[in-house]
Amino acid sequence: MGDEGKLFPALVKQFTASTGIKVKVESIPWDNVNDKLTTAVASGNGPDVLQVGLSNLATFKAAGALKDLTSELPKYPHLASDNFVSSLTNEKLNPDGHVVNVPWVADTRVLFYRSDLLTKAGIAAPPSTWTDLHADAVKLAAAGGKGKYGYYIPQWDQALPNIFTWQAGGEIQDSSGKVTFASAAAKTATDFYESFYADKLVPTNADFDQTQGFVSGAAPMLVSGPYLEKAINDAAPQLKGKWSVAPLPAGQSNISVVAGSSLGVWKNSKNLEADLQLLDYLDTPSTQVAWFKAANELPSTKSAFDDPALTADPMVAVYAKQLGNANLLPLAPKWGAISAAQLKALNNVALQHANEAKELATLNSTVANLQK
Amino acid sequence: MVGGARTLTERFNVVTTSIRAKATTVSQLARPLRRSPRRRRPTTRAPYWFVAPSVAMLLVFGILPVLVAAIVSLTNMDIGDLASPTHAHFIGLQNYRQLFGDSAFWQALRNTVLFVAVGVPVIMVISLAIALGLSRSESRLYRALRALYFLPAITAIVAISLIWGYLYNSQFGVLNYLLSTVGVSPVEWLGNSNLGRASVAAVGIWRATGLDIIIFLAAIMGVPQEYSEAAAIDGAGRWRTTFSVTIPLIRYALFFVAVTTVINWLQFFDEAFVLNQGRPNPATTSLSLYIYQEGFKFNQFGFASAGSVALFALIAAVTALQLRLRKSDD
Amino acid sequence: MTRRFNIRAVAAAGALTLVALIAAFPFLWMIATSFKTLPETVSSPPTFLPAHPTWAAYRRLFDELAYARYLANTLILVAIGYVGLVLMAMAGYGFAKYRFRGRGTLFMLVLATMMVPAQVTMIPTYLILNFAHLTNTITGMALPGLVVAFNIFLLTQFMSTIPDEVLEAARIDGAGELRIFLQIVLPLSRPILAVQAILTFIAGWNSFLWPLIVANDESKYTLSVGLSLLNRQTTVDPPLQMAGASLMVIPIVIVFLLFQRHIVRGFTLSGLK
Repeated sequence: MGDEGKLFPALVKQFTASTGIKVKVESIPWDNVNDKLTTAVASGNGPDVLQVGLSNLATFKAAGALKDLTSELPKYPHLASDNFVSSLTNEKLNPDGHVVNVPWVADTRVLFYRSDLLTKAGIAAPPSTWTDLHADAVKLAAAGGKGKYGYYIPQWDQALPNIFTWQAGGEIQDSSGKVTFASAAAKTATDFYESFYADKLVPTNADFDQTQGFVSGAAPMLVSGPYLEKAINDAAPQLKGKWSVAPLPAGQSNISVVAGSSLGVWKNSKNLEADLQLLDYLDTPSTQVAWFKAANELPSTKSAFDDPALTADPMVAVYAKQLGNANLLPLAPKWGAISAAQLKALNNVALQHANEAKELATLNSTVANLQK
Repeated sequence: MVGGARTLTERFNVVTTSIRAKATTVSQLARPLRRSPRRRRPTTRAPYWFVAPSVAMLLVFGILPVLVAAIVSLTNMDIGDLASPTHAHFIGLQNYRQLFGDSAFWQALRNTVLFVAVGVPVIMVISLAIALGLSRSESRLYRALRALYFLPAITAIVAISLIWGYLYNSQFGVLNYLLSTVGVSPVEWLGNSNLGRASVAAVGIWRATGLDIIIFLAAIMGVPQEYSEAAAIDGAGRWRTTFSVTIPLIRYALFFVAVTTVINWLQFFDEAFVLNQGRPNPATTSLSLYIYQEGFKFNQFGFASAGSVALFALIAAVTALQLRLRKSDD
Repeated sequence: MTRRFNIRAVAAAGALTLVALIAAFPFLWMIATSFKTLPETVSSPPTFLPAHPTWAAYRRLFDELAYARYLANTLILVAIGYVGLVLMAMAGYGFAKYRFRGRGTLFMLVLATMMVPAQVTMIPTYLILNFAHLTNTITGMALPGLVVAFNIFLLTQFMSTIPDEVLEAARIDGAGELRIFLQIVLPLSRPILAVQAILTFIAGWNSFLWPLIVANDESKYTLSVGLSLLNRQTTVDPPLQMAGASLMVIPIVIVFLLFQRHIVRGFTLSGLK
C-alpha cells in the first residue's frame, strides 16, 4: 500500500463492530512488496487476506500464493461477478476459471490536458481522435516554443503502446493467452507511437517528470491516471480550472487500460470463513464509496459509481466512462520481461534511431522465446 | 619548537627505543595475514574463543546463502517453485550460458569495471587528502568540519535519490537551470552516455568519501607525534614528513580502504538503482543492477543466483589479487 | 607561543571549509526542502531557500507517524547492535594478534561474506529465521546484520598496529587473555572503537529491510520502515520525505559528535606505560 495504510484500519472498524472479527492491518511500502512476497512464499507464512496490485497479480498466481475461492463465492452476494464493472469481472481477473482474487479498487488512464494552453493554441476542445491528437500536439509544440512539447510519452510505461494497439483494433494476446506483438494493429500502433518522436512532439529525456511537465506547460497533454489529479492539485493548486481530463482519443475505438488492486486469500490461511466475510464487506458498494471518500481510490463495483459522492465530481465521470471501455494488461507471469523488451525496442527506435522493422523482428523473436 | 612540546619532554625517554621497536612492528603487522615463522605459536585456545561467535554468525548468515545460491544457480527455480523447491529442475550450466551470452551482461561488466577503475582511486585520493587536512588540528572548527564531511555517509538513500535526481534532472533540475542562466543548453546528466556514468559515479564517490575520510583520520591520528617530531628534528619539511613518515605508517588503513572500496564498487548498486529509477540505462547498469533487473525483479532465482555466483567469483579473484600484490609489496 | 597563525594555516582551513560546504550541499538542500511547501519544490526555476518557510511537513510527520512505537523498536535494535560490536571487536582482535591454525582460511571466509549481494542472502536467511521461530521478533530483525565482515576487517587492521611487546609484557606479568583484551587492547583501540560505535548506531538506526521482512505486525516496524510508508507509490512529496530524512539524521549527527571526540592524537604511546 502507499499512504492508504493509515486509512484502512478506520475502514474495517465497522466490519469488526458488526461481525466481531478483528482485523490486523500490515502496510508494506509498494517497492518492497516483492521482497515480502518471496519470503512469505518460501516460508509458507503469510497474511490471511492480501491486497494485490494488478501489476503483481501474475506473480502472486505463479507463486501459488492465493487460495482458490471458486466454490465459496456463491455464498457471498457482493462477490458475484456482475457486481463489478465490466472490465474487472472475476472472469477477466481469473481467465483460467479458478477464482483466486476479486476486484477491490479500479484505476484507468485518461487524457489530461491544459485547457488554458489549448485555448491559447487555438484548440477548442480536447482531441477525440488519433488524427486530432497528433495535430493538436503539433499546434501546442509550436505555440509553446523552445523546451516545450505537445504531448508526453513516458518511456518506460507498460500501458501506452498496448493501448494504441487495442485502439487500432488489435489484440496483444492470442487465443491461447500468449502475448504477441506481431499483428497488423500492433504495427499501426507502433507507427503512431513513433510518429510523436519523429515529429519532435514529445520530450526525449528519460527523466522528464510528468507532474512538473504538466504544471509547467512543457507537456500540455498526456495520458495518466487519477493519482495524477491529486499530484497536480498538490503541486499547483493555482492551476485549478485551467486543466481537465477527457476520455482517450480514439483510433478505431478508445479502449484504455484498467488497473487497480484486487483482494485474495492466502493459500494457507486458517480463517477462510472470516476472510471471505471481510472480502464481502470490502466489496459492498457502501464500503467502496466510504473508501473513495477517504482515500480517493475508484471503486470496482458498478453501483458505487451511482453514489452522489462520485457523480458530483466531473472528473470521476470521465474515469467512470473510460472504465467501461478498458482492457487488462496480460496476466502472464513473463509479462514483466516481455513488456521490458517491448519498451526497449520502442525506445531504441525513438531515441537511438534504430531501424523499426529490425527492432520489431528482434522483439517478436524475444517474446516468442520468453514464452516457450 | 614543534606544537605539542609537552609530549616530547615527557615522553622523550620512551621515544627513541619505542620508535625503533614500532618501526618494525607496524610495517610487519600492516602486512595481511601470513604465518610468521618467527612467532612462537601460543598454545592458548583463546583466539578460537574470540573469533568463534562472529565466524559462526557469518557462516550461517553469509556463507550458507552463497552455497545455497550456488546450488540454485544450477536450476531453473522461479517463484512458482519457491514454496516447493523440489519442483525446480536441474538445468546444469544453462543459466551461466544464458548469462555469458547476454550482451547486456558484458555491458554491465564493462560499466562496473569502469566504475571501479575510476571510482576507487578518486575516492582514495580525495579521502586521504581531506583526512590529512583535517588532521592538522583538533580545534572546534576542525571538529565541525569532520561532521560536515561525514554527512554524505549518513544521508538516507531516499533523500540522496531525490536530491541528486533534482540536481541532475534534465528538464527541471538545478544544474541545467544554472547552465541556462549562462546560456548553455540543457545537458542530459543521467543519459545513456559517458556523462551518465560519470554523474552516477560522482554520487557514489561523494557518498563513499564520508566514511573513508573518518577512517583515514583515525589512522592518521594513531600515528604517534613522535615520528613527525623526529623527522622535523632531522630537518624534514611538512610535505616530506607526510609522504615519508605518515603515509607509510597508515598503510594498513590504505590497504583496508582499497580492498573494501573495490569490493563495494564491484557490487555498485544503490546509486545506479535510485538515480535511474525504473528507467533502464545501459550506460549505468552495473553488474549488481543487471542481476537485479534480469533476475530478482522477475523472480528468476536460478538466473539471479548464477549472476550472483559469477559476480562473487569476480570479486574473490580481484580481492585475492590485491592480497597477493600486498604481500609482494613488502 | 608559536607563530603558526600564518597564511598557510588560514588558507588550509579556508579551503577545507569551502570543500566541506560543497560536500554538505546536498544535505543542506535536503534540510531547506523540508521547510518548503510542495508546490515550491516542483516549481521551476528551482529555489534553494524556502520562500515561505513552514513546519507543515514536520507537523504531518508527527501526526501520521507512530513514532513513539517505531522509535522504541529502533532503539532496541540499536542496543542489540552494540552486542554485535563486542563480538566483532573480539573477532578483530583474534584475527589481528594471534597466529592460529585456520586463521587464514577463516579470515578469507569472513571477507567472502562481503562479496555477495544482499538479495542472494535474503530468502535463505529468512528461512533460517523462520526455522528458529524468530520471525516477528526484534532479535530476528537484528541477527542478519549483527556481525558484518567490513567491521571485523576494519577492527583487524587497526588492532594489528598494537605492539606485540605490550601484550607479551602483560602475559609475562601473568594477565589472562581476556584481561589483556579488556584492559589493554580495547583502551588502545579507542579511535577505531569510536568509529565502530558510530557505524553500529547508524546501522541499527537506519535499519530497513530486515525489520520490514521479519515483522508481521506494523507495531514491530522501525522508524525507517514507518517513514517509507508515508511515501506514495506514484506521487512524490519532497518536503515530507526530506523532513523524514532530516529527522532521521539528527540523532546520527549527535552520536557522531559524541564519539568522534575519541579520534585524537597519540594514543599509542600513552598506552605503553
